[in-house]
Amino acid sequence: MKTLWRRLQVLFRRERFDRELREEMECHRYLMEQEGLEQGARPDEAARQAAIHFGNPTALAETSRESWGWGPLERLLQDLRYAARTLRKSPVFTLTVIAVLALGIGANTAAFSALRAVILRPLAFPDAERIVLVNARHSSGRNGGTGIADFLDWRAQNTVFDSMAIFPWIGGYTLTGEGDPQRVKIASTTYGFQDVLGFQPTLGRFFSEAEDRPGGPRVTLISYEAWQRRYHGEAGILGRNVVLDGVPHTVIGVLPERFSLIGAPPCDFWRPLAAEAAGARRLQHQYSVLGRLKAGVSMERAQSDMTAIARRLEQAYPDTNRGWGIAVAPVSSMILDMAERPIVVLACAVGFVLLLACANVAGLMLARGSARTQEMAIRASLGAGRWRIMRQVLTESVLLAVLGGTLGAVVANWLMAALRAVSPADFALDASLRLDGAALGFALGLAVLTGLGFGVAPAWYASRADVSAGFLKTRSGHVSRGRAMSALVAAEVALSMVLLIAAGLLTKDLALLARTSVGIRVERVLTFALDLPAAKYGNAGQVERFYDGLLGRMRAAPGVEAAAGVDTLPMKGAYSGGPFEIEGRVRPADWMDVTSQYIVCTPGYFSTLGVPVLAGRDFDGRDTAQAPLVAVVSEPLARRYFAGEDPFGRRIRFRGAWRTVVGVAGPVKRFARRREADPQIYTPAAQSEESSLWLVARTTGDPLAAAQTAREAVRELDGELPLIALGTMEEVRNRSLTEERVMAWSLTGFSGFALAIAATGIYGVIAWAVSRRTFEIGVRLALGASRGDILRMVLGRGVWLAVVGALAGLPLALGAAQGLSALLYGVSMQDPLVFAGVPAVLLAAAGLASYLPARRASRLDPSVALRAE
Amino acid sequence: MPPGALHLLILRTLAFEPLHGYAIAQRIKIASGGVLNVEEGSLYPALQRMLMKGWVEADWVQVGAKRRTRVYRLTPDGQRRLAVELETFQRTTNAILRVIQPAEAS
Repeated sequence: MKTLWRRLQVLFRRERFDRELREEMECHRYLMEQEGLEQGARPDEAARQAAIHFGNPTALAETSRESWGWGPLERLLQDLRYAARTLRKSPVFTLTVIAVLALGIGANTAAFSALRAVILRPLAFPDAERIVLVNARHSSGRNGGTGIADFLDWRAQNTVFDSMAIFPWIGGYTLTGEGDPQRVKIASTTYGFQDVLGFQPTLGRFFSEAEDRPGGPRVTLISYEAWQRRYHGEAGILGRNVVLDGVPHTVIGVLPERFSLIGAPPCDFWRPLAAEAAGARRLQHQYSVLGRLKAGVSMERAQSDMTAIARRLEQAYPDTNRGWGIAVAPVSSMILDMAERPIVVLACAVGFVLLLACANVAGLMLARGSARTQEMAIRASLGAGRWRIMRQVLTESVLLAVLGGTLGAVVANWLMAALRAVSPADFALDASLRLDGAALGFALGLAVLTGLGFGVAPAWYASRADVSAGFLKTRSGHVSRGRAMSALVAAEVALSMVLLIAAGLLTKDLALLARTSVGIRVERVLTFALDLPAAKYGNAGQVERFYDGLLGRMRAAPGVEAAAGVDTLPMKGAYSGGPFEIEGRVRPADWMDVTSQYIVCTPGYFSTLGVPVLAGRDFDGRDTAQAPLVAVVSEPLARRYFAGEDPFGRRIRFRGAWRTVVGVAGPVKRFARRREADPQIYTPAAQSEESSLWLVARTTGDPLAAAQTAREAVRELDGELPLIALGTMEEVRNRSLTEERVMAWSLTGFSGFALAIAATGIYGVIAWAVSRRTFEIGVRLALGASRGDILRMVLGRGVWLAVVGALAGLPLALGAAQGLSALLYGVSMQDPLVFAGVPAVLLAAAGLASYLPARRASRLDPSVALRAE
Repeated sequence: MPPGALHLLILRTLAFEPLHGYAIAQRIKIASGGVLNVEEGSLYPALQRMLMKGWVEADWVQVGAKRRTRVYRLTPDGQRRLAVELETFQRTTNAILRVIQPAEAS
């Protein structure tokens, strides 16, 4: 220990150490000289003898220093100082390399952090490996949600979980009494949630079993962030009443800071689900379930226990539970579902960019190394070992990479801010995406790895510097160096090819999606949502009167052609649906085989959005709550379930009531990227209890100009009602393509960057080859080659590199396209335009990049060129 | 000089009194009747090693008007080390003697 301390002191006080040693030796020499004088030597002779005898004080000081065992470190510092000096001497090279690496490492660090934020976050709970997903799974392989009644049975009957809870169910609520009415996201879950995850509220407590019951006390917890933002972190928040959807809730706790779960967006408030356990609710497969395994219980045991429960439930409730099993899976299986998500594609893309940057920098270093052959030869002839020279070159490349990585951390910080800004609100990247220790460590580790990666080839060539060849400046050694550089450039071309193909496919697909109609006309449509609080609109009559009044006002307003209401807007992502029965048909054994989406709308919905009514009629004033129940079915439903029959006038049953089909509407896809429209059943709003509707209004001019009209119309009817998500249908469509757009654009950006890197790589290796072959070109010119011949020869070499690279990249690109195929909607993964266009672009870029050196070569003066070496 | 002997010589010399580098060299030379000549090139690295190991400590003293040098003295650790080295040396030497003078040893 003491020894180490003394050694460290020497290390950090090197200068003092050296000075003292010198002083001591000087004294030694002086004493020697004095002795000489005493023995009668002449003063100058004594000094000379002492000096000779003493030898080289620097060497002596060095050997003494070595005794402290810091030799390797000192040599490293020396290498670093030397590397820094060399790099300073060629600032353009250094800055280029650092910039390329900073972008590469920065992008990768950002991607790493984003992946980590998305994937690792849900596991940030104690004993997270014991937290599992428990879900209903139909024997047909369909993975359904869980009905609340089933969940309660699972919880009561299982012997393998410490606790189970419903995965937070997110809903929108209106918060009033805190200034303007606002929409807030609220997560509902069951009382075991706290025990499943194992967290403690920052303040107060989580809700109890007694509070998680229908009719129980209304309590809520607030998120840490909302507590800070809305209530400035006052401790007085506990016991405070907040009015959600017109109902006062008592705040009983504050959740931990940055509390979030994968798949659950950040919510301002959390409340008990207080679910009714009525038997009918076995059919509503809507919830996900989380469980915490008892200590020592394996996944397999949990699975067999739950399977036994599922069997019992099948026997007890054959009508609803036949065919339904239970699947226990690690939480990470949720992440696997995301394997095709854009973030993974982007992470791969940035990885490619970094590889490319490495290849490029390695090429640059090789070219630079060839200019330093002489330097290396001198070093070798002065006795530097091969390993020593390799280490010197590697030190240089790692230093470059670490500088690049440092700047890369800055770039990453920046990219993450951008990512936070563009990430959709329900995809909670915000809080956890930041440049933390892990990200910094990743950037540094990546820097060192890339530094070693792109330094290996240059170091190898440098260490092989032949002493005589270096001095004679002959071409030996350049041949294989040139080959290595060409291979690197071809690799760059191959990598950019992969990225370009991916970008091409995604961009073309995005364009196609943007043109694809989902079955409605999106132009000039204003949309917004309203959510009538149950406290004020307790019965169906009140709700109906409100929407009638509102639609009447809207339709009468100038600039509005038509207006209607609907509970699920196309391209918005919401879906509610389930099985239905057709009168006179035998109910199939597997009731899930006859399913449809259920949509509630007001009269005029089809005409407002331009959905054709293919047969029968739209809803109208006849279809009141008291009138016979009716429904309109969509064309896909008619085709699939009434094949060859006329659905008109037939009766269907769902949600417990029989309805007569009065019309058939055109197909409407839920998203542009869905290949087919789902079967749909529309019911009139007057005959359905639905207090939350989207209002759609087709306008004559700019739809947003009608926004004020809409706002006033709502205010006249209810001054406390916020207009939710006011916008246009075109915006809704654009937003529904956000993921595709972000992916296509960023891949285009990355591939453009890759193309630029590859082009500079080609330029570099061709320019290098021209400068190496000056003499040879001179000979050719002198022997009668035309300037065109030379131009063609050099240009041909650049294009050849691109051809080789493109050929090598082709199988890779095909593989990448295969990986992307799940994300493509309408573009074939072997789209001929993309697969022909990309190589053409690459060849053009290669031609352009090699044109400059080719022109220089063709303009060489033979007499000058022949004297070049 | 046999390897390892230098440490022993320096430790033994310093056991009598603290000395500076030059004096150590002189002392060894004189004591050995001029046979053992300690080169500066091995003396100072050896002293640095012993400093690192904690066998010796150094203080600065004035030499003449302008010069300073370090005077080394043995630490308790150094004394223990000396005993060990002496023991080892004697054992080794005896062993060597037995090998090269087998007749007398028997």
